[in-house]
Amino acid sequence: MRTNNNPYIPYNATVEDTWYETGGERAIKTFKVVLDDEEVRKNWNHCPGQCAMIGVLGVGESMISISCSPTEGEFLRFSVMRMGKVTQALHQLEPGDKITVRGPYGNSFPLDEWQGKHILTIGGGIGQAPMRPIVEYVKANYDDYGGLTMIYGARTSGDLCFKGEFEDMAQNDELSCHLTIDVEEEDWDHNVGFVPSMLMDLNPSPENTIAITCGPPIMIRFVLENLKKLGFEDAQIYTTLENRMKCGIGKCGRCNTGGMYVCKDGPVFNYATLKEIPEAFA
Amino acid sequence: MSAMLLNKEKWPDFVGKLAGKNLWVPRADGDAIRFAPAAEGEAPALDYSNSRVPPKQAVFPQTETLFRFKVDGEDLEVPQIEDQTVLLGVRPCDARAMTIIDKLFSWDENDPYYLKRREMVTMIGLACTEPGLNCFCSSVGGSPASTEGLDLLIVDLGENYLLEAVTEKGEAVLKDTADLLDEAKDDPIQQKEKIIKEAEQKIKRSVDPEGIPEGLPRLWEDPLWQRVSASCLGCGTCTFLCPTCHCFDIQDETEGFESRRCRTWDSCMFGEYTLHTSGHNPRPTRRERTRNRINHKYSYYVDKFDVIACVGCGRCINLCPVNIDIVNILGQVKEAL
Amino acid sequence: MDLEKLRETAAEVVAREDVKYLLGWKSGTFGYRVAPGFVEDTAGAAELIFSPLCTANLATYLTLVEKLPVPRGQEPDQRKVAVMVKGCDSRAVTQLLVEKGIDRDDLIIIGCPCPGMVDPALLAEKYPETEEPAVVKWSENGFLLAQNGRETNLARDEFLAVKCQLCRYPNPVVSDIMLGEPVEAWELAEDKGVTEVEGKDADERWDFWVEQFSKCVRCYSCRNVCPLCYCEDCVLDRLNPTWVNRSVNISENTAFNIARAFHLAGRCIECGECERVCPANIPLGRLNRKLAREVRDKYGFEPGVDPEAEPFQASYKPDDPEDFIL
Repeated sequence: MRTNNNPYIPYNATVEDTWYETGGERAIKTFKVVLDDEEVRKNWNHCPGQCAMIGVLGVGESMISISCSPTEGEFLRFSVMRMGKVTQALHQLEPGDKITVRGPYGNSFPLDEWQGKHILTIGGGIGQAPMRPIVEYVKANYDDYGGLTMIYGARTSGDLCFKGEFEDMAQNDELSCHLTIDVEEEDWDHNVGFVPSMLMDLNPSPENTIAITCGPPIMIRFVLENLKKLGFEDAQIYTTLENRMKCGIGKCGRCNTGGMYVCKDGPVFNYATLKEIPEAFA
Repeated sequence: MSAMLLNKEKWPDFVGKLAGKNLWVPRADGDAIRFAPAAEGEAPALDYSNSRVPPKQAVFPQTETLFRFKVDGEDLEVPQIEDQTVLLGVRPCDARAMTIIDKLFSWDENDPYYLKRREMVTMIGLACTEPGLNCFCSSVGGSPASTEGLDLLIVDLGENYLLEAVTEKGEAVLKDTADLLDEAKDDPIQQKEKIIKEAEQKIKRSVDPEGIPEGLPRLWEDPLWQRVSASCLGCGTCTFLCPTCHCFDIQDETEGFESRRCRTWDSCMFGEYTLHTSGHNPRPTRRERTRNRINHKYSYYVDKFDVIACVGCGRCINLCPVNIDIVNILGQVKEAL
Repeated sequence: MDLEKLRETAAEVVAREDVKYLLGWKSGTFGYRVAPGFVEDTAGAAELIFSPLCTANLATYLTLVEKLPVPRGQEPDQRKVAVMVKGCDSRAVTQLLVEKGIDRDDLIIIGCPCPGMVDPALLAEKYPETEEPAVVKWSENGFLLAQNGRETNLARDEFLAVKCQLCRYPNPVVSDIMLGEPVEAWELAEDKGVTEVEGKDADERWDFWVEQFSKCVRCYSCRNVCPLCYCEDCVLDRLNPTWVNRSVNISENTAFNIARAFHLAGRCIECGECERVCPANIPLGRLNRKLAREVRDKYGFEPGVDPEAEPFQASYKPDDPEDFIL
């Protein structure tokens, strides 16, 4: 699908829209991005779970999850937490500004394999970004799946991403969408409590279900423990990893976790594979 | 493929014939040998053990500009790699190392910079007759006269050099220098085999990698990693001077109004290598980094590409400031298995 | 030095409940190599050596060893670290104390009066290393090399390391336990390396260092081995902002090497480790010794001698020369 054969040359793209998901020092800003070249745009074909290297020329690139499903239209969405040099520069971008994109990179969630199954996503904080495409994809192809349950939590309501969308979803009886925050707040009419305990409260059946979890390491640890308690087999559980990356194409070396390159063999991993890699949860 | 003889007296003429191209030769600098573009009329002496920095730097430069761009512009300019390069005097281990990293740079997605340079290079090797103190190539699939990755192999027979073409590129060199060469009949070939056999016997260090690639994961929490990494300084000597280490960083750099995106060698022994922007580091100490270095070479790479990413050149042993010795580490690995 | 006494003392120290480990020297895996050892028990203590090959400055490990956050519910390990020091190494410890980089209470300093080290590179050039670890001892008129069953006398003048030829403090300046008797200081040699560079005019000096720095591969072994380069967040690693680019070229290499030298002015204790470990053979010792000479001549200051001293770059005297201020 490349229009050039040099994987280090990024595509030019334009920021079409931006908005803040959360505030504070480590704010999360979402970018709706459209690739400039029509042919590149037409040929771009990412799958939920994949990432892209987005960047600002002169500053650098960062590997970011593509947080939209291809079913949503000919654009890309990235939700970026302001952390270091590159993400600070990205946060300066406003609609109309130029951004560079390389990708899509990595494997993806095996959504074809999951057809007919119930999909359970369990997310925390910015960890919802790689799972949002699953939710959108399953919504768009609802008849192919056995249902969707989404659990999403953050420290406070101000730390929840995609809040508007999910609040709409929570009103939809067909979808089982559950939001939670760690501590009580005024005007909050959803759940209060940690994500892993909300999982136990909901007590989902492991039968014909795939569980996907992504979030802070400590949350993932307890979610995994609780999924086991609920009777989920390792092979029914998926998660995504992230590591420092530079090339995105399995050359620069640094993203390996054990013998796996997160950029090529990941970022999506089945827990049965991942638990054999001692470094994976380091 | 053909084999020819070159009388040593004609060596400067032979080198002179190669000089039309971008010729890299080994050059003595203090107590170290470095590969560098040849000066006019320079005919290198072939009496060194090996170069300090491996010749990988000719195909995988320490700093490579991926593209240039103007700060306020959009036009990206990709430097063209057009020069035919000849590397003269490459040791067989270092040539073999390139065939090992070829696998990574062409895995799934091609790395155009590296592969272009590889395509443009002619590798003229020099068989080892006096292996270095810490050489162990024969333990890891190499030999003092291995031709893997070479286009032409030179063997020192005393009065003459034996020149054996390995590839078409090597044949072309023999053709270009034909007027300096004599036919090599059976005798020189037998002489070569004797010399190489003797050289093999002079290799003092060895490791038997049998069982290591599949065994290493079992030793993940073994106390040996703490033991062998305690004195590590966390510098990049072992990795930068390793002919198979290939990890790199990519950074944008600006000077005046011109910027470039460039890649530079990076080292898994640096803390910054895996440091997340959040401050979290999945490999927080030298223990995890040392374990990764050994695992990468002797286990992960074998899993992915079916070859050990170590050619036994001994540089990391010779140059480690605190005597961290990979043969010794592998010995401890074998013992722990 | 009496090796039995050394090992006995070390064994006693590591047997103490309040000691984590002892930093000492062990014979290496081949040739003239000596490996830094982290000794935790009597068996480890029995492997310790002190010989003219023990050039490594172990003080660097006092700050190099990572301090990881203590897991919840666990007590931090507050045991002491014992460290064997030569005269120059003890100056590094002293300077670290001056800078409050380490706490005196966390240390047990075992002083080793040092009659001078051989230059291992020079030795290897004359008598090539072999696969057997060689033994080098001090002798009447220099050193004695025992290698593969053969003994060779090495003249002190010929093999004494440059840093030792210039050493003014062969005896540890600080210690809790002193092993053996103090050695008598020897006549100082002239610092030919520095004098040679000083003798060049500005252009020649520049050319000299350009040639040297162009060899740098930026492995950072000089920085990492340096007992006084211990910033947790080194300016050279910084990316945001980037002070020194990752590109390896003469401009960035010069920025790196000069930044390091300046950060060590008035702090370098001239242990020579940077020059010893440099895989590119850059004479870094000359650079640092030149700055040390300037500080000594202009300000009468010598780092790492007095634990009570004020840090050079943080102190001021009304009569400090200021002729370089434009």
